[in-house]
Amino acid sequence: MDSVIEVRHLTKRYKDVLALDDVGFDIQRDTIYGFLGRNGAGKTTAMSILTAQNLPTSGQVRVFGEDPYENAGVLSRMCFVRESQKYPDDATPRHALASARLFFPRWDQDLADDLVEEFQLPLKRTIKKLSRGQLSAVGVIIGLASRAEITFFDEPYLGLDAVARQIFYDRLLTDYAEHPRTVLLSSHLIDEVSNLIERVLVIDAGRIIMDESTEDARAGATNVVGDAAAVERALHGREVIHRESLGRVTSVTFLGRLDDGERAALAADGLDLAPVSLQQLIVRLTQQRTAGRDAFAPASQEGSLR
Amino acid sequence: MTTLESGSVTRPAAVRNRTRNVVRLQFVNTQTFVWVPALVLAGAWVLTMLIYWMLHSAGISEVKTGGGSQAPLWYFLVVGIQAMTLTFPFSQALSLTRREFYLGSLAAAAVSGLGMSLLFTLLGLIEQATDGYGMNGYFAYLGWVWEAGPLAAGLTYFVLTMLFFIIGFWSATIYKRYGTAMLTIVLIGIGLALVGLVALVTWQQAWPEVGRWIVDTGSLGLTLWAILVSALLAAGSYLTLRRMPA
Repeated sequence: MDSVIEVRHLTKRYKDVLALDDVGFDIQRDTIYGFLGRNGAGKTTAMSILTAQNLPTSGQVRVFGEDPYENAGVLSRMCFVRESQKYPDDATPRHALASARLFFPRWDQDLADDLVEEFQLPLKRTIKKLSRGQLSAVGVIIGLASRAEITFFDEPYLGLDAVARQIFYDRLLTDYAEHPRTVLLSSHLIDEVSNLIERVLVIDAGRIIMDESTEDARAGATNVVGDAAAVERALHGREVIHRESLGRVTSVTFLGRLDDGERAALAADGLDLAPVSLQQLIVRLTQQRTAGRDAFAPASQEGSLR
Repeated sequence: MTTLESGSVTRPAAVRNRTRNVVRLQFVNTQTFVWVPALVLAGAWVLTMLIYWMLHSAGISEVKTGGGSQAPLWYFLVVGIQAMTLTFPFSQALSLTRREFYLGSLAAAAVSGLGMSLLFTLLGLIEQATDGYGMNGYFAYLGWVWEAGPLAAGLTYFVLTMLFFIIGFWSATIYKRYGTAMLTIVLIGIGLALVGLVALVTWQQAWPEVGRWIVDTGSLGLTLWAILVSALLAAGSYLTLRRMPA
């Protein structure tokens, strides 16, 4: 495995909050990651430390084999687009993009110009007068056009409408195909990005709870649709993530992998197998953990998750 | 941890350019670094001239001097504060190291300060040549500052702009990193130290010696001391910034 980032025993403690709790993971080269988790789970903290914008309390971070802290050689190969990025007061998008061009060695001006047009970004308006969506577009354009070997997008789409988000996903994929690189995309719109991401890294309460390929993650749960009684028989006491019923037809998503024999048996029973929503799966996983931590069982929430 | 290669695109020249490019990054705020200081200087000059002209036309022909030319120096506190607060977060988004950002910001201040010092020196030379605009009024050509010549006067002005810039920058860094309470405590601490110094000199009844030392050292000598103080403050400012989260 060819990893560009290695994290070992990473802990970050703010005054009374443990933001990262002995975290360890590797990030593979030229892969798009979904870095998922609830607000306050530690995503931004982790990305800040990886880009040396913040410092760990303890533990080790290696990027391209080196400590990124005050390391211009390593930092110049990374780009971190924050959701709440601050810009100089007098700056316009034109200034911001011109500045980014100065510092990112693989910057592509044509791509930047293209994106400005697609996002209809007013170049000469000062940044403090931009709408939330336009502000996000500035960050997205910097992140894409910098073509950094590792690019971090921390919820880059705040205020972007559905069309603009689609432009972002499309351009990211096209450009990634031509110029492979490592991308960590933190997002709450899990289903929207689930076709984009190759691996999922889920963090919850400062701990990594999932680190696998999107395909494997999805295979970890199954959705069956069919006659209610047949569906109940198929469950075998497996844990249900989601249940919906309409008349005699029930749709149930449950945790656990199925082998080919089981699949054949279900099909013979007249049940349909459908793909599972990654979002449902991750919501359920993080909720289970929350329930365990807070010692209350959200049994009544079954079916309320979409 | 053996699968990693070390930084393949690390180019020392490119890294040096990054520091230089921080100057360009800072000058995005042209208003902060160029126009407002120039405006303060021009404004102070115009006001001073009007007053001199008034006095002159009232028949007062003695030498007239004023402190107006120090006005832009104070503004460099603001320049230092803004260089830190406005641009540091963005510098981090551009994957700059704190060292690159700091050295580049000092260089940007130096460019701005040099421009101001040049204007100050030019005004002084004009005043010297025209006997204070023909009305014996001096804005920049202040005897004590100029006693070692125009170069020394320019140097004094430049060092003071940098000193003010560094104080502003450091204050902003302490404020951003530790908050208002800490900045207030530090300022009170400095105030106490200064009062302590004054008390010491007073108890030792050493004011005449201090006065003599200041006169003997002259403005050039004091400027050299100011360089030392600036360097110490600059180092402290860097140490505060070095582990500052974005």
